[in-house]
Amino acid sequence: MKLLVMCEGANEKAIMDILLENHQLSFAADDLLGLVTFHARQIRTSGVVKAELNMYPGKVKILRIGDTQTERLTIPSEYSDKIVSVEKYCTKPELEMLLIISEKLISEYDKVKSSVRPKLFAKQNIRCGRRRYDNSTEFYRDYYGSDYKQLVAAIREYKQHKGSHQKDELYLADLLIR
Amino acid sequence: MKLLRVCASNFKNCQEKIVIDFVAKSKKTSEDKQYELVKVADELYVYSTAAFIGKNASGKTTAIEILDCCYSILGEFRVENKHYNYDGISLEIIFYHEGNIYKYTTKLQTDSVLENRAVFRRQHVYCKKYYKTKLNSIYYVEGFEEIYAPGALPDDTASIFFILKKNKTTALYFDSCGEGVDTYQLLFKVMKNYQIPDKILNNIIRIFDESIQYLQKVDDHNYRISVDGKSRIYSDKELIYMLSSGTTKGILLYMMMAASLQNGFDLLVDEIETHFHKTLVENMINLYKDKTVNKKNATLIFTTHYCEVLDLFNRQDNLWICQSNGKIQIRNLYDNYGLRSGLLKSKQFYNNTFQTAVNYEELMNLKRGLMS
Repeated sequence: MKLLVMCEGANEKAIMDILLENHQLSFAADDLLGLVTFHARQIRTSGVVKAELNMYPGKVKILRIGDTQTERLTIPSEYSDKIVSVEKYCTKPELEMLLIISEKLISEYDKVKSSVRPKLFAKQNIRCGRRRYDNSTEFYRDYYGSDYKQLVAAIREYKQHKGSHQKDELYLADLLIR
Repeated sequence: MKLLRVCASNFKNCQEKIVIDFVAKSKKTSEDKQYELVKVADELYVYSTAAFIGKNASGKTTAIEILDCCYSILGEFRVENKHYNYDGISLEIIFYHEGNIYKYTTKLQTDSVLENRAVFRRQHVYCKKYYKTKLNSIYYVEGFEEIYAPGALPDDTASIFFILKKNKTTALYFDSCGEGVDTYQLLFKVMKNYQIPDKILNNIIRIFDESIQYLQKVDDHNYRISVDGKSRIYSDKELIYMLSSGTTKGILLYMMMAASLQNGFDLLVDEIETHFHKTLVENMINLYKDKTVNKKNATLIFTTHYCEVLDLFNRQDNLWICQSNGKIQIRNLYDNYGLRSGLLKSKQFYNNTFQTAVNYEELMNLKRGLMS
């Protein structure tokens, strides 16, 4: 069986790729369908995911990586026998929570969280060198790429801090090596 | 250098001007940027994969030949050994190079001495700086300034030489005809020219035949092959019989793909599905979309009859429909058809939305003939 990692956005993919490259996940690239993570919200609209599913003859487990993931994943009927399960890994309400944690701004953010989205808070308060947070993949690469331990620490702390996950919403921390 | 747009007139049996534009026109989602597009400059994206589809004799090969002609000019500054008449062909080639947009126009004529070679007439080169704020007007005449050649060149050498300066492969062309027993020579030539390691050849061969451990060149016509642990030397004629011409062509195509991906030049393939399994076609398409493999922004451009392959394309502007009603027309799916996104493209193909269906009455006429 292979794992199909479907990241909701390019930034989630960058985070997963940093963890994978630094062997911080409980699986390796060889365990992944196509040896890589994918940026795909739905199978139906992703040519690359469909092609990979067509090529692999065995069973597949899907790991969805995203923030709130309110959109239901639809499994096309031609793949329903192949896909054995779907698991959701969330960083609610937005991925920027990891940056806020890494910057030790979580108590500051808690004061305004009812009116300010994490993305906006990060844009207003977080920099990497001279660069202000701009929601770009390059920013995540610059911020965590040379210091994956900081990313791992933020992911673990997020799980401790955040308590509003639904029963079926797992944490990125659950994918880390023990 | 990256090719952006080609306009051709009087090319083979195309009477109308044919325009093939590789600059992404429709909305660019972050998924598209990850997979189906490659970034040339700020906000300037071209396709990682592009396809021409149509029924037999619809002009798919002509489309690829137009591009091959332009890539020959951009890479070798020459057009030679092509299987069509050069006389009267007009070309306009627009490409991006080192921060600038260049427009090269010329009219081809057959060389009166070397008939397999074209000479270039009425050549003009124009240039303008690329600005992302002017992305929507990169083809407009405004801003282009003519660059005059600083010296004379033989008339079989394109004046674009003064811009690009040295021969460099811009694309390889894999046609559907094949090279027969010479395929193995070509295979090892590609490996040598583009420094592809033996390991990649062995990886490729094992996709086609798992019992083969390795293939090595002994000399131009003899090869050592190890099958099930037993090594033996075969001549090229024996080898093509042993491996089959389909497998041989498939191995060459995959090797050209490896060269393209590792060096960042484009690959033109006529009838991509002809000699192998659909999975291998899907695999090629995915390798060009995967930026961990396609690190140097190569583009796969192919023709196909397999309309199911179209369903692996999320975008529409990188697909062209070829039709022939006496004269060849090449129409962009996005520009000319206004297909709703979400509809399966293969289904539209079977529904004859693009007027590409095989003539049903002719099929029945054959059946009637066979019944009587």
